[in-house]
Amino acid sequence: MYGYVRPPLGALPEEETERFRRVYCGLCHTLGRRYGTAARFILNYDFTFLAVLLSEPTEGNCCKSRCLVSPVRRRCFQSSNNALELAADESVILAYWQLRDGAADHDWLHGLKYRGVSRVLEPAYRKAASLRPGFDERTRRQLELLGRLETEQCSSIDRAADAFAALLKAAAQEVEGPIRRRVLEQLLYHLGRWVYLVDAADDLKKDAVSGNYNPVALRFGLEDGVWTAEARREFAATLDHSIHMMATAFELWDFGVWTPVLESTLYTGLFQVGKAVLDGTFQAVRRGRIRKNHKNEEETT
Amino acid sequence: MNDPYQVLGVSESATDEEIKKAYRDLARKYHPDNYHDNPLADLAQERMKEINAAYEQITKERSGGGGRPGGGYGYGYGGGQQYRQSGSSTSSVLQQARMAVNSGDLSRAEALLANYSDHNAEWNFLKGVICYRRGWMDEAKRYYETACQMDPGNPEYRQARNFMAGGPRGAYRPGGGPFGTEVCPGSLCLELCCIYTFCSGGGYFCCC
Repeated sequence: MYGYVRPPLGALPEEETERFRRVYCGLCHTLGRRYGTAARFILNYDFTFLAVLLSEPTEGNCCKSRCLVSPVRRRCFQSSNNALELAADESVILAYWQLRDGAADHDWLHGLKYRGVSRVLEPAYRKAASLRPGFDERTRRQLELLGRLETEQCSSIDRAADAFAALLKAAAQEVEGPIRRRVLEQLLYHLGRWVYLVDAADDLKKDAVSGNYNPVALRFGLEDGVWTAEARREFAATLDHSIHMMATAFELWDFGVWTPVLESTLYTGLFQVGKAVLDGTFQAVRRGRIRKNHKNEEETT
Repeated sequence: MNDPYQVLGVSESATDEEIKKAYRDLARKYHPDNYHDNPLADLAQERMKEINAAYEQITKERSGGGGRPGGGYGYGYGGGQQYRQSGSSTSSVLQQARMAVNSGDLSRAEALLANYSDHNAEWNFLKGVICYRRGWMDEAKRYYETACQMDPGNPEYRQARNFMAGGPRGAYRPGGGPFGTEVCPGSLCLELCCIYTFCSGGGYFCCC
């Protein structure tokens, strides 16, 4: 999970962005309390989105406290609940296995940072794995499968994405209520598919240079990681089909207070992120460069 | 039954026009077209029934119990999801596979197709449907394309191929805007970033 799933915060009323932030901070505090400070650094929007999906329809209690990021002013955040704990445990497992995967993907020298961080995260991972053995097992199996597909240089984007999508779908296996579970499983499957494909598209140029496995490049026969108009159109259509599947699943369950943030993410945020990735501007936006340029423009005009 | 006003998401003091608008919006959202071949279509169908019943009840009450003046669309799932079980099917195995798809038993449908050696247009089409339901959208498109090439005159195959190739452009979106990565207006804005945390977006140290 890489931080691609984000609500269009500029377009949402402040009440909703604050609610989302309280989950973000709540997940951070939950990670810290359950797994120590180091685990808080795995936090990202994708995991927050997962926590929102797993949440009850009402918001629940909030606490106030200072933290590293807000050392002076006490900030409101969601106090721990089942959804945040489940999301925190699953986030730790996912992050750990992704780091291990990163270490395996690189040579000794370039794998150093992955090995280093996974070492730091190891105690947290061991605890999370013992709390959620089913999800841990599933994650390990799916990532092994993904590794095999990489070795085979599998050119089916569906097969490659399925390995990750099925993994994310398993995040809902502990959810109670058969209808809710069905809805979440379908939503998470396509969320996983979308994240995997968008990530592969985002890495096109990098993988073209390094020679790393990239199913999107193989499927569309792209050279030097450059899109052709036809391939880009086809790829956008396949992303849209997954977003459609997420949206239609979302509409079949009452997510209560989370409805506005989920709705705007699914019907707007994912399109915007997907487009930025296809345009090759997502990395720049993520690091704040475009925003700063934009600010400069505003200042000069 | 639930309160019909609650089902439509309107207050009891809403005007007839407001109720009609709410009904139409919901009917568009849960319309069979929006859930075609969707593995959750059965849940959408339930919701649609509930919405139709609620609308019917309100219009009945408001007109003093007589008929359905200005009635709604009466949208329903009148078998629109089902694939024809005879007619175009050329073999009983493919017919059985269609039935298995209709009943949602994808594994059985897949097993039937795996044992069928004549990979004709219908075989490819059914493979496409199974892929679509499983969420393998790219493979679904390829099977539909093959089915179309083998039998260009078949409207069922053509419709499926066009839908896959163009993306779900007509899909429901709140407020009615266009649905799609390449057509959705607005650009990325990341205002929540970093202020609240050291790490944003996948554990990178922060930016602003």
